[in-house]
Amino acid sequence: MPIYNAPLLQIDAKETRRYAGLQKAENFSEERILNACEEAALLAVPRGIWEIYPYDCAAQTVLDESPFAIEGKSVGKHLAGCEKIILLAATVGEAVESQVTKLFEDGEYSASVLLDAAATAAVEQIADAMEKTIRQKMAREGYTMRWRFSPGYGDWPLEQQPELIRLSRAEEIDIHLSAALMLIPRKSITAAIGLARNTKTSEPSHTPKGCASCDKRDCPSRFIPDAGTQP
Amino acid sequence: MIHIFDGALGTMLQAGGLQPGACPELMNIEKPDIVRGIHEAYIRAGATIIETNTFGASTLKLAHYGLADRMAELNAAAVRIAKEAADSHAKVAGSIGPTGRFIEPLGDLPFDEAYSVFFTQAKALAEAGADYLIIETCIDLQEMRAALLAAKDACALPVICQLSYSEDGRTVTGTDPQSAAVTLEAMGASIIGVNCSLGPEQLVPIVRTLAENCRVPISVLPNAGMPYLEDGETKFPMGPDDFGAWGPKLAAAGATYIGGCCGTTPEHIRALAEAVKGCEEPKRNVSPRRLMLASRTRTVTIDKELPTVLIGERINPTGRKKLAAEIRDGSLLSVKKEAVNQAKAGAKLLDVNMGVGGIDQTAAMRNAVTEISQITDAPLAIDTSDATALEAGLRAYPGRALINSVSAEEARLREFLPLAKRYGAAILCLPLTDEGVPKTARERVGVMHRIIRAAKEAGLSDGDFLLDALVMTISADANACHEVMETLRLYRKEFGYPSTMGLSNISFGLPNRPLINSTFFAMCLAAGLDAPIMNPYDDTMQNALMASAALLGKDPNGLAYSKNEANLSVPKAAATAKITELDAMSAIKQAVIEGEKDGIAELVAKAIREGHDSNEITEKALTAAMNDIGVDFGAGRVFLPQVLLSAETMRAAFDKLKELLPAQKANDKGTVVIATVKGDVHDLGKNITGALLANSGFRLIDLGKDVDAAEIVKAAIENKADIVGLCALMTTTMIQIDKVIEQLHAAGCAAKVMVGGAALTQEYADAAGADAYAPDGVKAVQLAKQMVGID
Repeated sequence: MPIYNAPLLQIDAKETRRYAGLQKAENFSEERILNACEEAALLAVPRGIWEIYPYDCAAQTVLDESPFAIEGKSVGKHLAGCEKIILLAATVGEAVESQVTKLFEDGEYSASVLLDAAATAAVEQIADAMEKTIRQKMAREGYTMRWRFSPGYGDWPLEQQPELIRLSRAEEIDIHLSAALMLIPRKSITAAIGLARNTKTSEPSHTPKGCASCDKRDCPSRFIPDAGTQP
Repeated sequence: MIHIFDGALGTMLQAGGLQPGACPELMNIEKPDIVRGIHEAYIRAGATIIETNTFGASTLKLAHYGLADRMAELNAAAVRIAKEAADSHAKVAGSIGPTGRFIEPLGDLPFDEAYSVFFTQAKALAEAGADYLIIETCIDLQEMRAALLAAKDACALPVICQLSYSEDGRTVTGTDPQSAAVTLEAMGASIIGVNCSLGPEQLVPIVRTLAENCRVPISVLPNAGMPYLEDGETKFPMGPDDFGAWGPKLAAAGATYIGGCCGTTPEHIRALAEAVKGCEEPKRNVSPRRLMLASRTRTVTIDKELPTVLIGERINPTGRKKLAAEIRDGSLLSVKKEAVNQAKAGAKLLDVNMGVGGIDQTAAMRNAVTEISQITDAPLAIDTSDATALEAGLRAYPGRALINSVSAEEARLREFLPLAKRYGAAILCLPLTDEGVPKTARERVGVMHRIIRAAKEAGLSDGDFLLDALVMTISADANACHEVMETLRLYRKEFGYPSTMGLSNISFGLPNRPLINSTFFAMCLAAGLDAPIMNPYDDTMQNALMASAALLGKDPNGLAYSKNEANLSVPKAAATAKITELDAMSAIKQAVIEGEKDGIAELVAKAIREGHDSNEITEKALTAAMNDIGVDFGAGRVFLPQVLLSAETMRAAFDKLKELLPAQKANDKGTVVIATVKGDVHDLGKNITGALLANSGFRLIDLGKDVDAAEIVKAAIENKADIVGLCALMTTTMIQIDKVIEQLHAAGCAAKVMVGGAALTQEYADAAGADAYAPDGVKAVQLAKQMVGID
């Protein structure tokens, strides 16, 4: 039951800009972005938890006392060749969310949307920091990590979210699911990361694809190669 | 002389029969010959220090195998085997690995629990006769601090502290080798080093940084590269000769204890020992130790050769009722804000004072230090007169803190100095005695000698001291300023340690205090002040500092001074100038388009004075602006946050219109009932759409999020809605949309239905029987206008 609550010394302003749909905007105040990042860092209570399980690739199943059969071709393909699987959950907590709502109610529409974007950047950053701590240990044991994959990506049905919550033990860091299978607090993520044996040649096919793997091509936050950092 | 450590144990234990999933330390009891044989192989290869097979022999780790109760036995057996193998040819280092969990607040393991776990293992290893303790492969400085503290409490053996670093040259929790060296040396580590995770080439610069920032020996145990799988076998890329060849380079970088970690074998160690034979001990920097303070991720050095270091004084509830009340209520939000803002304003160290009456000082200090160090990388000064609170703060701090302050008062010296030594803190020395404040500079220097002497007797040394010149007020003592100048000069001459002071006391009781304070500040900087404790938001002080830096050569040739915008004779042109040149109606439109909320109320008032009525202002300026923005948004020239800034400006304009012309009703384009459907708690998108509709002249009834179908239908009928707007974000909730539309129709509601949300598509909207699909809020406004027949 490893827990890692990564400190948020600085929330990535470039990513915040991207999540706010501002990649192509010229002259949008950097100060507003930085203020949002700062406020999110102050209000965020970063928490993260993960668990590592053996994974049966052929059966697409996480091996546990009560096994979890992962549905979906895209996730199956993503995890092909993996012997283990990390199931993780991370959150920035409720306080940022409340402030997003409050700002909107106060008529600070733009600040509200920017804070929401900064909170999204923050939760991704927390998960990145978790991955970093796991990656070093796994590399030592001879494993490479695939990139994070979550229910809702490709054809992995959201209906499998409860199993991720159970196996990542997300409830220990107060992440819950609503009846409609939404993560609460809203700025939370769950994800699976495949662990494959390192071979002598690295596996360039498994470098992060991020936005490139998503079908929603009109998404305002879709990564533009020369406008921001690779998510 | 270069000492040679052994290499990897784990892989050799596996070769000797350790089964996957079994406890490696149990071999100490069940197969001692195998363990002994490995030690002997390394000694034959040339190792002069061998590590015991106890990396995972803490109660916390052994508990995974149900062996926690055999901790002492397994550690004792390991030392015994190692000593048998070593005979007189090698020393034995008792190995202590990390707990596998993160210390609070990074993780869920309390510092004190980690301390106990390390203490019991350290004691077991020491009692069994180890020559050294080696705490290794730690990835978090705070866990290392707990282990080092425990090891030193458990025994008197020399302790080797080795962290593991990543490719970016930091531990995975962010610690750089400089901050590690500064923190661990001050806490009393005997040898500081690095092992595992990287190969020797990547460790050379880390070894160099460690060597440059402390005076104790440096150790390095690299991996033979990273493991990979080949033909079903785990292999490491680096052979013995390649590995050994790095030995002299690691020694040249400053290491005197060199060995191997994962993937190394007796052959690697043999090659290494051969390669470093005849290597000279590296030359280390022997200049006096400087005052360095460190957070988990950053070191700050205070020295006369370096730029002035501002110590931010704002985390202090004295005289600040609101902050005091918040701290009393247990909230640290303002404290954290002060930390972030002061660092932004240029403070390099942050003073933390939790002096609120009637609260638990110890808990308050522990919490403040814990929380602040999660949000800023500026090192902290722990400011308290309470020894228990001080210890709580020092214990919780994942770095090397400054103690504010140690005076010559008996109780202070007795209570604070041992804490400074134990936790590796530096001390701010205040020349106060039990008799009071010494008036003259000479007397202050005399008291300072007493403090330094007592501190050195307690084990502190050069690099641990920051001297306070003690500022009195000139309205009470005409010589106060002179004495401070003289004190600073004498401090530098007699001690050579850096100096500090709280400045503002000088002007107490005088008018226009900023002028006195900033002038005094400049004089002190010239006299040798290195680290003022001050309010970093104070512009006059910051200006005095900037000018002084240029004058005193700390900003050579005034380069930074010249670049600072405040000093330029021609300020940058105001960006909004053009709005003021326009007539009122055009100016309103322009302000809305640019999202310039601040001046809009005045512009609206001006337009009314010029005879425009509410309707005209709304249609010709506000709505016209929003139409333009809508077009630009649709064309991808303007983006959502910018549209929202415009909407905020619109709203401010409407508010002003209502205030000035309450009788004139704004256009009522129709009624919209809007809601996020049952089960869905995402409402930002819905809120945005609502705000845009409301600011476009629609009467908005927002039912909120997670709204039941029946409630939506009821509200639509009761309010005679023209339009019902439904939002759903996820595939799991958008089916609710079908349900609401069905019930609206069943109830005979004539309102048009518009739907939107991330998961929705035009196809889905059509299938569900919606009248329109709005991909975004701007489009929703256009569609709404069409629905009510405006456009």
